Order: sequence, then C-alpha cells, then structure tokens
Amino acid sequence: MPQQTRYQAIVVGAGHNGLTTAAYLARAGLRVLVVEKNDWIGGAAVSRSLHEGWTYSNCSYVCSLLRREIARDLDLPKYGLQVIPYEGGASFTRGGDYFAYYSDHNALRREMARHSPRDADAYPHYSRAIMRQCRFIRPFLLRDAPDPLSLRPRDIGEMAYLVKKAWGLGKKELGETLRFWTMSIGDFLDEYFENDLIKAHLAGSGIIGTGLGVYSPGTAYVLLHHYMGDIDGGIGAWGFARGGMGAISSAIAADFEAHGGVIHKGAGIESILTIDGAVAGVALEDGTEFQAPVVASNMDVKRTFLRHVNAADLPDEFRQAVDRFKIRGSSAKLNIALDARPDFPAAPEHASFLRGDMHASESLAELERAYDDWKGGRWSEKPYIDMLIPSQIDPTMAPAGRHMMTVFVQYAPYDLEVQGTRSPQNWNENRRTAMADDVIRQIEVAAPRIRDHIVHMEVRSPLELEREVGLTEGNIFQGELTFDQLFFNRPVPGYAQYDSPVKGLYLCGSSAHPGGGVMGAPGANAARAILRRETPGKRMDGYAA
Amino acid sequence: MSNFDAIVIGGGINGLVAATVLARRGKSVCLFEQNDTLGGMAGLSDGPGTPALAHLVYNISPKVALEIGSDIDAWPFSAPALPTVALAESGRHVIVRDGRATFADGTPHPDADAFQALNERIARYGDILRAIAEAPPPGMPKHAGYGAALRAVRRLGRMGMGLRAMGKAETRRFMQVLLSNVYDFALDDLDEGPLAGLLAADAVRGAAAGPRSPGTVFNLIYRMGHGGHVRVPEGGVGAVLTHFATAARDAGCRMQTARAVARILTTDDCVTGVEIADGEIAHAPLVLASPGAGTTLSLTGTDHFDIETARRVRKIRARGTAAKINFELSRPFAPENALGPPGPARYVVAPSAAYVERAFNPSKYGAMSENPVIEAVPQSVSGGRDWLSCIVQYAPSDLAQGWTDAARARLLRHTTDTLTAVVPGFSEQVTGSQITTPDQIEARTGAPGGHWHQAEMSLDQVLSVRPANMIGHYAFGPKGLFLCGASTHPGGDIMGLSGCNAALCALGDPA
Repeated sequence: MPQQTRYQAIVVGAGHNGLTTAAYLARAGLRVLVVEKNDWIGGAAVSRSLHEGWTYSNCSYVCSLLRREIARDLDLPKYGLQVIPYEGGASFTRGGDYFAYYSDHNALRREMARHSPRDADAYPHYSRAIMRQCRFIRPFLLRDAPDPLSLRPRDIGEMAYLVKKAWGLGKKELGETLRFWTMSIGDFLDEYFENDLIKAHLAGSGIIGTGLGVYSPGTAYVLLHHYMGDIDGGIGAWGFARGGMGAISSAIAADFEAHGGVIHKGAGIESILTIDGAVAGVALEDGTEFQAPVVASNMDVKRTFLRHVNAADLPDEFRQAVDRFKIRGSSAKLNIALDARPDFPAAPEHASFLRGDMHASESLAELERAYDDWKGGRWSEKPYIDMLIPSQIDPTMAPAGRHMMTVFVQYAPYDLEVQGTRSPQNWNENRRTAMADDVIRQIEVAAPRIRDHIVHMEVRSPLELEREVGLTEGNIFQGELTFDQLFFNRPVPGYAQYDSPVKGLYLCGSSAHPGGGVMGAPGANAARAILRRETPGKRMDGYAA
Repeated sequence: MSNFDAIVIGGGINGLVAATVLARRGKSVCLFEQNDTLGGMAGLSDGPGTPALAHLVYNISPKVALEIGSDIDAWPFSAPALPTVALAESGRHVIVRDGRATFADGTPHPDADAFQALNERIARYGDILRAIAEAPPPGMPKHAGYGAALRAVRRLGRMGMGLRAMGKAETRRFMQVLLSNVYDFALDDLDEGPLAGLLAADAVRGAAAGPRSPGTVFNLIYRMGHGGHVRVPEGGVGAVLTHFATAARDAGCRMQTARAVARILTTDDCVTGVEIADGEIAHAPLVLASPGAGTTLSLTGTDHFDIETARRVRKIRARGTAAKINFELSRPFAPENALGPPGPARYVVAPSAAYVERAFNPSKYGAMSENPVIEAVPQSVSGGRDWLSCIVQYAPSDLAQGWTDAARARLLRHTTDTLTAVVPGFSEQVTGSQITTPDQIEARTGAPGGHWHQAEMSLDQVLSVRPANMIGHYAFGPKGLFLCGASTHPGGDIMGLSGCNAALCALGDPA
C-alpha cells in the first residue's frame, strides 16, 4: 500500500497502453500512480504460469504492431524486451497438403507456383498494393485523429495533413485507396488470386478479433491493421516477445518505475471521483481513495463511462453514443502445454514454417461459414485457428524438450446461444470443453496426434477474457474496427482525442484511436494529449511526440 | 447508312433519358434497342398487369423530370404513396403509413416514434447526398471546364450548408452511420421485429449483401433519397417507361427497336459509330452505351482499352440476388389481420433483421434462401384476374447447380411456403405463376449477373469508383464513347440519373 494518496495523474488499468501512458507522463516529470485490479500487470499483454514449468502468453501471443518509436522512447530493450522474428507460416489441408508462406520471396514464389502459377504472378501486385496502404496509414498511428467539425488550428492542421497525404497519392491511387478501405478482404483477394488455399491463408488477418466475416466490407482494413506493424523495420513481420507477451508490459512497467512511478495492484476501481464535473481521483473497491486532477482510463470506453463514472457527470447524448459502441467478443484462446512437439506429417521435418503461424482453413467459404456460426450464437464448427509453438524459438516458455502451443480461435460468441436464449452465462466448463474439442479437431488437420501430447490446457472463452482482463464482451480490440468506429469516430464522434465530457478524464486504451493490437499507440497519443492540455509548460519528449 | 450527332445503345430508362437530354440540346440522336419494346429492365412485362421485373417506383429524380421536360407531380409519376405492411408470422402485422407505424389491428406500435425518427433521419441524409447523385461523382475529369468546377464547388457548399443546418451533433451522427450497417442502425433504436426487418430488407433489396454488411446504411439512404415513398404509378411501371419513351420521341430522337448493336466502331481511338447486327452502319462521333461496362468493352473490342481498364472491368462485381415471381390468384390478396389499408399496399416478408441476414447466408455459397425475403405488391385487376407481384431474395445468379427448371420450381415452392406461413391459406389461392430468375434477367436485358444496378452498389463501387476506379466519369476508352447505364454513378433503380449525368458529360457540360 503506497503511503501517498495524492498524485498528479492516475492511470486505471496496467495494460500495455495504460503503462505506456503512465511511463510517458512519469518521464515528463509527473507523479503518476497506476492502479490495477489483478495481482499481476499487463492486461492482455501478459505471461502467466498456470502449469508448473510452462509459461503462457495467455491472451495476445505475437508481437508486431508495437510502435518502434515507443520501444525506443521507453528504452524497452534495456528492461529485457527482446522480440524474436519468426519466419512465415502455413495453412494445412484435410487432404494432407499445405501452403507455406515463406518470408523469403523466392521460396514463397515457388510455393505459390506449386499451387497456382497464376497466383505466383499475381502476388507481387497484391503485395505492392498492401505495402502502399501500409505506408499511407502508418504516419497516422501516432497522430491525433482530427475533428472534422472543429475550427481549432490543431484540427485544421491535422485535416490539412490528411488532405495533403491523400492528395499526394494521385487520382488513381486515391481511388484504389478508397476502394481498399471499403472492401472485404474476400473480394480483395478474389481480385488477385484464384487458389482457395492461398486466399484462405492470406485472409485470416482480415477477421482476427472482429465480428465480421471475410466477405464483410471493411475487412481489408482489418488485414492492414495486422500488417502495418514491423520488427526492426521489416514491415509486416511478426515475432515472439522472449518470455511471452508479458515481457512487453514488464519492460514498460520497469521504465515507468525507474522514473518514479507507482503501481498499486490487487484492487480494481469502484468509481472515478468527480467534483463539479471535473475529475478528482479514484475510489478503489477496497475503500482506498487516491486523488489526482487527471485520470487516464485504460479500460474500454463502455466499462469506463457506463460503470465507473457517475451518470450525472455525462451528457445524455454521450452516454447514448457510448452505449451504442460495438464491442463484440468473437475470439477464444487455447493455451496448451505439450510434452513434446507434435508431428506435422504433411510438412518436411525441419520446415521453417512450423516455427511460424499455422492454420487449417482451406477456403474463404469455410471461413465465411465459421462467421455464420458466430452470427447464429454458436462457436465455429470449423474455426479459423492461428496456432504457434513459440517454445521452439523461445526456450523460456517450457521445460527443455517440452513445448507450449498458443491457439487463437475465431469465432466464438460472447453471448452463446443455448436453446433459443443468448447469454454469456451459457458458457460453463462443459461448453468450454466442447468448444476446445472442436478446436482440437481443427488442430488435428495439421497435427493428427496432438491429443497424445497435451499435458495441460487453458481454455478461454470471450467470457474469461472479460472477467479476467476486463475487456467488455471479450473483444480483443476494445471495440470493433469498423468504419463507424475508426479514426475521428473512435470511440465516439466528437471525443476522438482521448478526452471526455469530464474534465481531466482521458481514455488511453484501445477503444481510442488508432485501436487494438499490442501497439501502444493509443497510450502514447493519450499521454501527448494529457500533457498538452493539463500541464502547461510540459511537453512529451521522444520519437512518439 | 446514316449520320447522327449521337447514338445511344439500349432503350432502358437511362438510355431513354440520355437520348432525350442530348436531343433537347439540339443533337440528332438515334437510339438502338435490341428487344422489340423499349423500357429495358423496368419495362419488361409478361402480360397485362404483370410486370416481369420492377413493380414499384420511388426514386424518380426531379432533376431528370426537368431535363426531359416533364412535370414530376403530373401523370404518370403522380400516385398516392403506398402504405407498407410488414408481415409477421404471429399475425401481428405492422402497417406503416406516411412513416407512421401501427399494428394492423389499429393499436399503437411501441417503436412508432423511434421508427419515424429513423426514417426522417434517413430522408434528411438522403437530401444531403442527393446533390452528389444529381451530378457526376466528385473528382473532376480533365476536360471539365471552369463552369463545371464552379458548379462543383457550389454543390459542395450547398452540402456544407445542409450539414450546418442539421447541427453539429447530427452531422457527427451522419458521418458515423454513413458507412455502417443497417442491422446495427435499426437495432440501436428499434426492438428486433418486423419494423427492423423492414428497414433491413429495404436496405439490401437487390444487393449481394446482408443487413450486417457495412455499407448497407448507404444503400438505404440511396433508396430513400427521394423521401422513401413507394408508389405504383398510374398505369403501372410500364406507363412510366412509356412516358419516358414518348419524351424521347417528342424531343426528336429516332428510336429503332429489335436492332441489336453488334459492334461499336472506332477509328484512330475515336468513336465513329455502330454496326447493327444486320450489318447496317450508323455514324456518330458520340456513342452512349447503357449496357454494363463489360458488354460495352466487348462491343468495342478489348484492344481499344488499356490493359488496366480491361482488368478493372473484368473485376466489377455484379451478382444479382433477386428473382421475380408473379402469382396468379383466385381472389384478391388480402392477408387476415391486415385489414388496415383498403386499396393497394406493399407487403414485406422480413419478420426481423436477423431473418434477413439468415436469408442472405446461403446466397454466399451459391444456394437460395429457404425462407426468402419477399416484397409483394398486388396488381390491379386486369381481365378479372388477380396477381401478386413479388421480388424474392436471395436467389443468387451463380446458383451452384445452375438455374434449372427444378431449381426454379424449388424457389417457387420456398416462396409460396414462406408467404403461406404469414398469410394462411395463401397456397390454395394460387392458380398460376411466372418466375424470372437472375439468369433470365441477364438473358432478357443483358444486365450482368441479372443485377438490376448492373454492378453491385457496395462502397467500393460507388461514387468516383463506379463502376471501377478511373472510369468513374462516364467517358470510357476511345474518345466519344460514354457509359450511361446503371453501372455508372449514381446507379440503378428507376431513376434515370445515370443517363442524365452521362449525357451532360458527353456534351462537355457536366452539371
């Protein structure tokens, strides 16, 4: 229990974004407190040991989106953060074949040609189109979304920047960009490729974490959202954080504490205190109160404003908009401790893609059907799975010779339907086990003897994600990444710059622009907004400033 | 051999409007139509009182009426707006009259206010977007002069004023919902049920999209752009098309039916005329083609287009999803418990938004809906017989086993069963039927995929990128060739704006 109860800023929630905001504020010289409901920090960027000897990345599991600028500003490598890139991935088929995605261009070309020579020719065009969109969007991640209806010089300046960037594309590219942003990933891939398996492999990133199907307009952007990251400048590359995703949160926390920050664990907040419509501090569940003129909430927008802020402090219109914010749980997670690396009979023994992301979906239609299951309130009978065995690269995750497997599952509904009623309460031990069984059946497409090797398994439905991490409905992005909830509409129109109707209360989580993923951008952007508005004379310093 | 200032290919509404606009500006115009009758998709009929395809009019643009010298409030456009009956399996049908919803038995509907507010909001948004529909899409083509640029700026200004008049909060709301999906848009304010189903069904009619697809609110705004009142014009949809044909004739156009264009002729990358199927050649420096971009491209010859345009045109998505069924009935269509509106009405079977989404699901995999979404309009009695004209969704053009007679019979059965579930006894009243599936629509009208907008109205195929990027301003390939059909901005429905915009562009005077 910290002695002090008065701070200059309090951050609610020690997720990676909350910690990022806190670290930037502490570096700017503020006395900052982070309060966290769990006994551990990290939110959904966490490593925990649930079975002796094994470490799970319980929620998020791979790293790419974390902004370089933030990693450098906060000196994360100094605190032990090491991101190890993995090479490629593969999609397995029921017929005993696979499509391997190699990061080596020539190898990839040969592999594509094995399935379709035409697709091998089309790939460079596809790849260029995606890369152009990545380049276009990346500068916006660490900038505020302008308010198009505001006449403040800052907003006009940001709008001008947007117009300039768009104009700079030229007429043809601008048209392509508008199309890309409004297309479904299925339609986009259909324009380039003919092979079902190749399309299914490439489409996965367009649906991860969303309540959309591969043929829902807007999913091409979601794909971009997963591609716009980089590891050491390698755009689109993904890697493992050594020690699990918790290593990211711990490194940020270490920097925060090195700059005098305090983390108070083990008690969630009861309410955000206000006086005359301005923030005064927070009250914890255990009765403790802390005072500060600035509170940044790492919780999602619904949880923050509908549960922890006095309704009288919020305009009705704002509350209604928050109430309508779409935050739909659509993913589940299996973390599996294995006594040996399972065999993948279809693959060559030492194939590099076995150390990457593996899937078992064979066509866009199969992925779309998985989405139809979710719409109907069921988990997908044949889910899209994104499975990795990080212990092959990172020995800290499992005892020697043993392995840890992480399996992301799309789709699983939050409000499961049972006998005509949809409710999260329908998730129980039996149904979780039944879902896990369907998932394992899908894993068996690639690794038929996986069941023989399972030592321990953690099964997380959207409900667990909500209960444990506090993500409403278990949505991994703290809100759907659809047009109506992106950029100046995120989280709600008129409040896209991390602020709120309550003076001194800010949002710093993924509900805010630019959205989810272990990116840190909302956290850094929120810190910039807070310092600009609340601390005259103090400005954020660093690459992300 | 004959010479004209301009040739128009296709005598559907857009072709007729394009020809009229050109002729009224002093051009000598000749129009070629491959079928025996003018009217295209909207004018097709399988007999008196039974429109083969379109059965309602709700989107006639006042601007088009003005351009062809007609009065929008006069015959044949004028007709009282129809009430809509949203049918429910429970028998608690909901009637919407002038935007006001009540239960069919006259008791007030709990969501009436919310529904009215939603409709008014849509109409307001439609008002703002109309300025964009009534002109070529944003982004001026190179040849447009200062006058056009000035008008474009004025239009933007008018839009800005419109937004200002709405107020800041409502403008933010507009920018948020514009690209969102109708499922959430409806259910944010309404309870799940026939009213939400009605909005969902209206938003996706004719589209290869379900209510949960982002972009469907845009479609709803488009459809409701002129107030959202549905009408059966006096004399039926056919009369409207006859009126358009008369307007074209009065303006001095020559119209030649049963004359299919075999080729569009070019010399040195300039259009010179067309060759008719019988070998006759007609010359003109301007050719406006109302078939889809793909058909026009093949009529001209792919080698007259750069490779990128040819590729883009091949990738245009046009998957028709709506079939048309006309039921012959032994007595007038009158569902029990829907005694509300005496006289004509529109009936919609879409008991909930989720129902519409479920109906959409099979169409993604080349299968038809077992419980389709139906829009039914009883037709005025002719020869003592009663007809019910139905648009049935989803019946995808790319049905996995193809549209065989057996498949058509299956769709007919699903439709009859679905109607019988909400209107008990319906199947016993049916004495005959006509069915037109998307493949037949394509065969009869040439519309790609039997899609009544010629190209899907999804967000990546509207405005400046309709039907595809870089060909969004009507000019298409060789100098003097223009697209003027529904595959261009702003798109289909019986509206005529595509033809009007294209003609003005071809005249070098984009309004």
